[in-house]
Amino acid sequence: MLFWVIAAILTLGASLAVLLPLAGGTKGASPAGDHDLEVYRDQLSELDRDTARGLIQPGEAEEARAEIGRRILRLGAVARSGSTNSTSSRGTRLLAGVAVLAVPLLSWGLYGILGSPDLPSQPLAERLAKNPADSSVDELVARAEAHLAANPSDGKGWDVLAPIYLRLQRFPDAVTAYRNAIRLDGDSAVRQAGLGEAIASAAGGVISADAQNAFEAALKLDPANAKANFYLAVGLAQEGRKAEAVAAWQKMLGQLSPDSPWRNAVQQALAEAGEPAVAADTPANGPDAQQMDAAQQMSPQDRQAMIETMVAGLDDKLKQNPRDEEGWMRLIRSYVVLGKADQARDALGRAVAAFGADSEQAKKFTAFAASLGVTATE
Amino acid sequence: MVETGHFALVLAFALSLVQILIPLVGARTGNQRLMAVGGPVTVTGFALTALSFAALASAYAGSDFSVASVWENSHSLQPMIYKITGTWGNHEGSMLLWVLILTFFGALVAVFGNNLPATLKANVLAVQGMIGAAFFLFILATSNPFIRLNPAPIEGRDLNPVLQDLGLAIHPPMLYLGYVGFSICFSFSVAALIEGRIDASWARWVRPWTLVAWMFLTGGIAMGSYWAYYELGWGGFWFWDPVENASFMPWLAGTALLHSAIVMEKRSALKIWTLLLAILTFSLSLLGTFLVRSGVLTSVHAFATDPARGVFILCILTLFIGGSLTLFALRASTLTAGGLFHPISREGALVLNNLFLTTATATVLVGTLYPLALEALTGGKISVGAPFFDLTFGPLMLPLLAIVPFGPLLAWKRGDVIAASQRLMAAFAVAIAAMLVTGLFIDGASVFAALGVGLAVWLVAGALTDLAVKSGVGSVVPSVMLRRFIGLPRSVFGTALAHLGLGLTLLGIVGTLCFGTEKILTMKPGETVELSGHSVHFEGLFPQKGPNFTEDRGRFVLISNGIADGEITSAKRFYPVRQTVTTESGIRTLGLSQLYLSLGDENKDGSVVVRLWWKPLVTLIWGGGLVMMAGAAMSLLDRRLRIGAPAKRRKPAAALASPT
Repeated sequence: MLFWVIAAILTLGASLAVLLPLAGGTKGASPAGDHDLEVYRDQLSELDRDTARGLIQPGEAEEARAEIGRRILRLGAVARSGSTNSTSSRGTRLLAGVAVLAVPLLSWGLYGILGSPDLPSQPLAERLAKNPADSSVDELVARAEAHLAANPSDGKGWDVLAPIYLRLQRFPDAVTAYRNAIRLDGDSAVRQAGLGEAIASAAGGVISADAQNAFEAALKLDPANAKANFYLAVGLAQEGRKAEAVAAWQKMLGQLSPDSPWRNAVQQALAEAGEPAVAADTPANGPDAQQMDAAQQMSPQDRQAMIETMVAGLDDKLKQNPRDEEGWMRLIRSYVVLGKADQARDALGRAVAAFGADSEQAKKFTAFAASLGVTATE
Repeated sequence: MVETGHFALVLAFALSLVQILIPLVGARTGNQRLMAVGGPVTVTGFALTALSFAALASAYAGSDFSVASVWENSHSLQPMIYKITGTWGNHEGSMLLWVLILTFFGALVAVFGNNLPATLKANVLAVQGMIGAAFFLFILATSNPFIRLNPAPIEGRDLNPVLQDLGLAIHPPMLYLGYVGFSICFSFSVAALIEGRIDASWARWVRPWTLVAWMFLTGGIAMGSYWAYYELGWGGFWFWDPVENASFMPWLAGTALLHSAIVMEKRSALKIWTLLLAILTFSLSLLGTFLVRSGVLTSVHAFATDPARGVFILCILTLFIGGSLTLFALRASTLTAGGLFHPISREGALVLNNLFLTTATATVLVGTLYPLALEALTGGKISVGAPFFDLTFGPLMLPLLAIVPFGPLLAWKRGDVIAASQRLMAAFAVAIAAMLVTGLFIDGASVFAALGVGLAVWLVAGALTDLAVKSGVGSVVPSVMLRRFIGLPRSVFGTALAHLGLGLTLLGIVGTLCFGTEKILTMKPGETVELSGHSVHFEGLFPQKGPNFTEDRGRFVLISNGIADGEITSAKRFYPVRQTVTTESGIRTLGLSQLYLSLGDENKDGSVVVRLWWKPLVTLIWGGGLVMMAGAAMSLLDRRLRIGAPAKRRKPAAALASPT
């Protein structure tokens, strides 16, 4: 609001600068010749001074005086012929009107295209001083940084900031923060694993030797640390030791508590590796590592065939043991992924039948299938 | 506040259009009211531009990263001085500074131009408005400093570390004051062409503006040279870099203009030539702006690269240079030529000066543009450097410098070379003596050194002779002499100081180039090195932390006659935000000379590469520039430059009564 008031005042001022001289009376300005005469007179007196100082010979000075005199005479002739006026013809009034209108129209129009009138100024000091509840994450981080710049030995501060840096993808800062936290507040599995993740992320996801060391340090302190286990397996996969990586992930899947946030990541990693996510300690009902390796070397057609065989195997298994909730869902998804909508619908029907149409599981299956675009009846 | 600045800028653009149209029509139709609009509009335009600049500067000072230009060129940890100078340490901000100075000069003409004929004033302001409008449009269309970011980043990307220096506070504003100062001379010339006549007051106005612009440009170039000398860390003071040439060409042309404007003002001669020079000088200023701002060059200065901008500036360049020269071609024949003079006279000497200076300007222009043209046509990249300029610019300058002392001693209209030579005998003797001393005792091997020193001393002694002759040394008693000396016009002192400064600069250049020594070596802490009679002891590297950088500071102790004589430090600075390393050179001034050292790379065994230079008389290079500036300032104080308005106010009755 204040901005618009200021803008209006500025526009008014600018328009007045155009309007007032147009409306006001003109002082009786002297004709151009007067100014020249003044200068010529001064030239004459200067000539006298120069002659006195010997800067010009008397003969030449006379010549110069005559030159100036001739100019003064010519001036009189020009002054009589030239004239000025201060009356306004219709043309000039129209022009004046256009000019006065152009200032607000042009400026507001152009500003409307270029400006961001709703955006207030945001000096840094002001942003950092406002109520933390209104601050953005960036501003809170900046505030924490200012605090740490003043108290660089506050290990707890670094510990709090480090994971935030990670989430903000400021990886080099995260590395520094984790190192400081470890140096000041001591080792812990969480910090070491975080450090490893920060180093790896800073390197674009590559598990370098440094990162690996950090993860291994974390596992020494807490062998069950999920982050360290997960990334070490990623490191194995990056080295081309896919089978070991898959085994490690599958082992993790068996150990992780059902509500662990790492479950998703592991399942995704396995999916990317072409593996169904199955815990290592449950009987393997998917392709094993050898089958996997085989799949990697196959042609696309062969791979498709192998996948279809595997899905068929799962289907058979479920026919024998229908009370496998996860299995049914996997089967439905597999058929959808393979583009076999009919069989997916069929599988849904069988799954609902296996648990009873009114059961909790049946509702879950229906919802799940609906989320994949499959409905029970057509 | 930021948006207020943005709005003020847009409003200033709108006003600049009015500033073109209304006074121009007013002057054409002889309408007093329309012409009267020019003044208030110009002043208001300046006020709005100043408001806009203040808004941007406060955004920089307050680290408002919601402004894109602040985010790109500032950092919250920078010291306050660099936050503020950062306002013009980037393309957008520096263009805003450019128009700020342009509108400021326009406003000065509007406020103090009451003694100008009304039509001339109206036309001048209109032409200023044209330049202003073109640059406002350029800023708003391609280089808007008020573009906002939402959401605002919390931290900026830092100012280019090379620019984080006091030099940035002084060099660009001074250079722009010089460049843009010539715009007034340009506007006066174009206004005279539009009117088809040159008023007598024309020269009275053009000369002080030329002086002001020339003074600032001299200071700007000297400051830029010193800045490059200590900041870039390789001890050179002039590189014939295209960006340096870009500021040197208007300086050369401006120097010519300064001299021809004297003739025009005093004798009303050389009118048309002066007018053309004024147009050329500002054209070269525009060209300088184009070369630096368009990114057409790649050098240490060019920190803006964007082809859209280049094309836009090229259009501005074509419009103004082409337009004004076309107007000149059409109208020059209608202008009346002025006073007569003999070839051997003060006027003749100034014409000779103009011939040399314009040829030298052309030489530099060729050397600067040829590589660009070649690259554009064939794609081949060549660099034209010192060898080219030594062979072309040097031979042009030597005869010019040799005749400089004669000029002020020749009389107007018809001079006497023999009389002038007799008066210069003493100066000539001193110069020969200096040559002999140099050749026999200091450096017998280099003819150039002896000649250079001789020429420099000749210039200094010649300038002093001028003062001595004019105050009557040797012909009158000392008390009269003193009275005459005090009574000399300020412009005589101005001339003498400017020529003296030129001699000092030349002495500095010759001293540094001919007698300087250098050494590059690896040093371990505890070692001592000798250079031209100075011992420097290396104490070691010490890490330090600055506000937004970390550095390894190398400490050296200068040892004179076996005792420690102060510390010299040179540092390698690392700016983490930009991941840039800069070298801070260590300089110790001893008398007029300097000991200059800079750190190179550190080796694994703890030793470090150190470069040392002994630069005799080097401070004179820039000291001479300061003396030249003082000369210009002195000339500005001359009574005849203040004559117009006050004289008119003192006796308005006489002025009004006489013509009719």
